[in-house]
Amino acid sequence: MSAQLPRLLLRGVRDLGLHPWAQVFTLTAVTMVSLLAGLFMLLLYNVDQELLRNRGQLQVQVFWAPGTDMDAVRAQWTGLKDTPGLKDLRLFTPDQALEDLAGALGEIGDFSWLKGGNPLPASALVSLSLPKGEDPRAWTRDRIAALKALPGVDKVHYNPLQMELARGWMDLSKTVVWPVIGFLGLVVALVVGNTMKLNLVSRRDEVEILYLVGAKPWFIRCPLLAGGAVQGLAGGLLSLILLKVVQEAVKNSLNFPPLFLRVDFLPLEQAGLLLGSVALVAVLSSWVAVRG
Amino acid sequence: MVRVEHLSYNFGSQWALKDVSFSLAKGGFLFLTGHSGAGKTTLLRVLYGALPLIRGRAVVAGFDLGRLKRRQVPDLRRRVGVVFQDFKILPERSVFENVALALEVRGMGRPLLERRVRAIIRALGLENKSYEPCERLSGGEQQRVAIARSMVVNPELILADEPTGNLDADLAWHLMDIFKQFHTYGTSVIMATHNKTLIDLVPEAEVLHLSQGMTVDGQKAAEAVGS
Repeated sequence: MSAQLPRLLLRGVRDLGLHPWAQVFTLTAVTMVSLLAGLFMLLLYNVDQELLRNRGQLQVQVFWAPGTDMDAVRAQWTGLKDTPGLKDLRLFTPDQALEDLAGALGEIGDFSWLKGGNPLPASALVSLSLPKGEDPRAWTRDRIAALKALPGVDKVHYNPLQMELARGWMDLSKTVVWPVIGFLGLVVALVVGNTMKLNLVSRRDEVEILYLVGAKPWFIRCPLLAGGAVQGLAGGLLSLILLKVVQEAVKNSLNFPPLFLRVDFLPLEQAGLLLGSVALVAVLSSWVAVRG
Repeated sequence: MVRVEHLSYNFGSQWALKDVSFSLAKGGFLFLTGHSGAGKTTLLRVLYGALPLIRGRAVVAGFDLGRLKRRQVPDLRRRVGVVFQDFKILPERSVFENVALALEVRGMGRPLLERRVRAIIRALGLENKSYEPCERLSGGEQQRVAIARSMVVNPELILADEPTGNLDADLAWHLMDIFKQFHTYGTSVIMATHNKTLIDLVPEAEVLHLSQGMTVDGQKAAEAVGS
């Protein structure tokens, strides 16, 4: 058997040319279904990328009580630099805060008359990134509590929506996205499998004749499986090419204010996953079909 | 070579074969005769393992069909050549490829395979059409390809189901000559036909006449075939 295997696999590839129209239809069906799966992956990837830019970020404004000793505040600022997950830290003394406010207000922001009696407190703008694997809600609660517990801290402001968005996306991923991916995979398998089966119907006579002359099942199945693998690979490859064409066409269609969304192509590993999955599904479907 | 005892086969409530018994010695020639629906094809299909043995006993080329497992059917078919009225060849493949198929499934090496295929193709007068797709051949030529495919493996037994049924008289005679030739070399043959002229061409052959799935005794058979 092993000596015949390469010849049988080669025959499977060569036999694809025997029924060109049946192969073209099969290839078209496999390509279209793979393209559908690819489009979904593309959408998912780009939504995920967009959320990655914003999600998992916690921006907290910390205000110390007016009149707090600045040396003590500075000591705490030094400690803040060691906060786990710290991405950015901007610190404002009361004078810097006033200056920043005046700059932001432009011509009307002349607060020189407040010099010496500045009512603004010392403050800090702390940007934190959610460490991988942490629950956003619990992590946020802990961070806020830790900042509030700093001596002299009067108020802590943050936007809970940012974390809720991250949490919402994680929940959505768990409850909707993966089931949809599973469902889509099943659809791909069914369509590819049935197309392969229909393709085999056109070769029913050949299979019958092979059995008549004493062919063992593996002799009949090997070329058909090789043909299925080639169909799957070719269909997957064509769908990736079409996906690239679609991505190029829509790449900048959402890249305008205020959206500024760019549609990127799938990363190499995801493209490889799509190609490999379709080929695998094609082989498995052919296997199921030829077993019948 | 073939021993059949009390073989019966039914399709639902319809009996296709009823209590059929016969035997064929090694190197023998047997004609199965009878009108359409008499059970000739069913009997042949049981003999080459396309239908399971339901009742009775049958031994073909050393295989007890009652004990034959599904995975052993290819082994039986490697010992038995089958020729059909509708040829059952692959029309888009060449003569060479069709004939070679029977040897390829046995895993025969290429040089020996090519020698044997060329020899049988030559013996059947198809050497000029070796690489032509079979769909371009005449009916007689296609049937010769089918015979070549069944004979290239030197089978112990040939089962032929109305092999000349689609051919004109001259071609039928020619094909019978080919069967007789292989028979002379020691191959056993069971041929289903209702053509009395063909039966007369092989005077040493035995005749088993079937009517409604049952064997008919010699005198009635002679009358039936004669009619």
